Amino acid sequence: MRKLLAVIRREYVQGVRNKGFIISTLLAPAIMSLFFVVPILLATMRTGGDTRLAVLDQTGRLYAPLSESLSRTGADEDEGPKRPPRGLSDEKFEARFAVERVEPGGLTPEALKEELRRRVLDNELEGFLVLPPEVLEGGAAQLYTRNAGDVFTRTVLERRLTRAVADERLRAAGVDGARVRQLTRRVELEQARVTRGGGEQRESGAGGFILPFLVGTFIVVAIMMYGQSVLSAVVEEKATRIVEVLFSSLRAFPLLLGKLVGVSLVGFTQFAIWALMFLMLGLFGGGAFALGGSEFAMPRVPAVALVLAPFFFTLGFYVYATLYAVVGSVVTSEKEATQIIMPVSFLPALAIYLAFPIIRNPNSDFSFWVSMVPFFSPVTMLVRIITERPPAWQIALSLLVGAATVVGMVWVASRIYRTGMLMYGKRATIPEVLKWVRMP
Amino acid sequence: MSEHKPTLRLEQVTKRFGDFTAVDRLDLTVRPGRIFGLIGPNGAGKTTTIRMIVGITAPDEGRIELFGEAVGPRAQNRIGYLPEERGLYKKMKVGEQLRFFGELKGMSGRGADEAAARWLERLRLLDRRASKTETLSKGMQQKVQFIATVMHEPDLLILDELFSGLDPVNVELMKEVVLELKAAGRTIIFSTHMMEHAEKLCDDICLINRSRKVLEGTLREVKAGFGLGAVALRAEGADAALADPELVRAVRPGADYAEVLLAEGADPQRLLHRLLDTGARVSKFEQVEPSLHDIFIAKVGEGA
Repeated sequence: MRKLLAVIRREYVQGVRNKGFIISTLLAPAIMSLFFVVPILLATMRTGGDTRLAVLDQTGRLYAPLSESLSRTGADEDEGPKRPPRGLSDEKFEARFAVERVEPGGLTPEALKEELRRRVLDNELEGFLVLPPEVLEGGAAQLYTRNAGDVFTRTVLERRLTRAVADERLRAAGVDGARVRQLTRRVELEQARVTRGGGEQRESGAGGFILPFLVGTFIVVAIMMYGQSVLSAVVEEKATRIVEVLFSSLRAFPLLLGKLVGVSLVGFTQFAIWALMFLMLGLFGGGAFALGGSEFAMPRVPAVALVLAPFFFTLGFYVYATLYAVVGSVVTSEKEATQIIMPVSFLPALAIYLAFPIIRNPNSDFSFWVSMVPFFSPVTMLVRIITERPPAWQIALSLLVGAATVVGMVWVASRIYRTGMLMYGKRATIPEVLKWVRMP
Repeated sequence: MSEHKPTLRLEQVTKRFGDFTAVDRLDLTVRPGRIFGLIGPNGAGKTTTIRMIVGITAPDEGRIELFGEAVGPRAQNRIGYLPEERGLYKKMKVGEQLRFFGELKGMSGRGADEAAARWLERLRLLDRRASKTETLSKGMQQKVQFIATVMHEPDLLILDELFSGLDPVNVELMKEVVLELKAAGRTIIFSTHMMEHAEKLCDDICLINRSRKVLEGTLREVKAGFGLGAVALRAEGADAALADPELVRAVRPGADYAEVLLAEGADPQRLLHRLLDTGARVSKFEQVEPSLHDIFIAKVGEGA
């Protein structure tokens, strides 16, 4: 139908040519990577050289093992197997120390500390460590630094000191420290997912949790963004009265449908561009995550989810954009629309919250029912597919229910739209809107 | 008088909004090839009537026949509607905008482009074809919307307050175009509350007030049927004579001369005598037809 196509084409061409579209398409990936990558890069960036540390060893037995341990890089054998470094060497996060021993030289401990304090303030040292005799019996050691916020350095130091002290205690008790470490070595828990495909997918729990959540959030944000753009278009046509000419040329149903289809195509265009960009940046992106020393290997998204994601996005888009269009047609200005849209926007947000219980138990009755409700299924069903694939009939049913709902909603919406768009000057009440739906 | 089938016929058409009856049992016949003036004060029901004709809303009662058939998508393609409240897509280029509106009326993309180019040239806007609509002056935008109304060569044109917002040069240009369209056999419904325009353009008149038809007929019939005479008068010291309600119904002062609407059955000769008897100096006294404006005021005022 030529008129419907004309509406779709207009909506699409205007949509992709819009400055906002071009800017958001180019900038969104950049901003997203800024949010994820930059903090990680900055947090692990080493500025300056080694950490200069003076050690005042009042036990007389700890300095040698400690300084030996601190001068080594890499993990200790009791810390478990090392994570595979992805693309970047481990050196970047390693805190490195230049340790010096403080000789009492006949001075009182107070005088020594006073001298060390001066050297720290004069920037000859980053800090000093005091190991009182009772450290070996369970007492605390004291670390004095100019900068108390360097958690990386502190963590490494604490670990190495603990080891040196423990070794010393073990030796005093006549036990071989190396033997103990070997026997108490940490066990690594490898996680793999059992799927119907038969293959095993190794991944870690944290990734399995975060990924579906991210996908759900992305879908909801996209749906709301494009719903908003449908809303603006509808309000524009109403406010400028273009709709009078439109309605004198075609019926409300093809007009509304054309609008929705046009805007959804704009959305797909944007995703396609993003997908291409991410493919190209894929290597770098992976590197950035490894750089962050993140606790999980990037989990692989099941191919089914990738294939089905566009369908669920489409479903969600039509469900919500239709609601947004209805709101646009009954209000008098975009400002008014923003107020009314609040309760509508709560639904997609709720869909994200629903993702939490689903991730924990993807095939419960609860998960089944919420993934059948078209207002939630774009997020909830997709989350289920990613975490633990439900039977195919459930996926099909969810899409089918969604499609039927969309057809019904567009039909009802076009009836409200038809009357609402011609009501100027006042916002329609809910009873009025219901009456319009029943009107022939 | 044309013997053809009417272009448009309304039979006992009624439209209500809640308790308010916007159009009350309206009968209307618009004959092909004529300019039909739908006049009336604001809120009389003109726009509601037009919306039913173009198929935006449906009447609650009565029948509307366009080109001998019920209002539907086919009839809609043969109508060009210029609403009183103008609206264009601000961000679209003029050429794209016209193609879109042409396509909505069933034209092909190329056909729409060609028609748009012809009309832009005719209305001296061809150089603005690639401009964004929002960069055009208000008058230019009016012309663009006019093109969107006529480009698909509709058999019936409905022009609601065509001249509002146009400067005199463009008013003349549009009048010229409207008369050309009429000469090409198009039927035009011209809705306005500016009687001067209606008087100059319309063949037929229908005056509606408070949802009802008050007056209908050719401009000639309407004026003849009105039954009141009028005089164009320039005189000094005429106040005494003009104050007689038996002779004078209303006086409309003007810069050059005053228009005097005579009371029912009053003879212009008696007014002239009275003027001279009361010592007025008369420099212009001419019997004229009552203007549509006078008729409008008289009829609408009656109902008030």
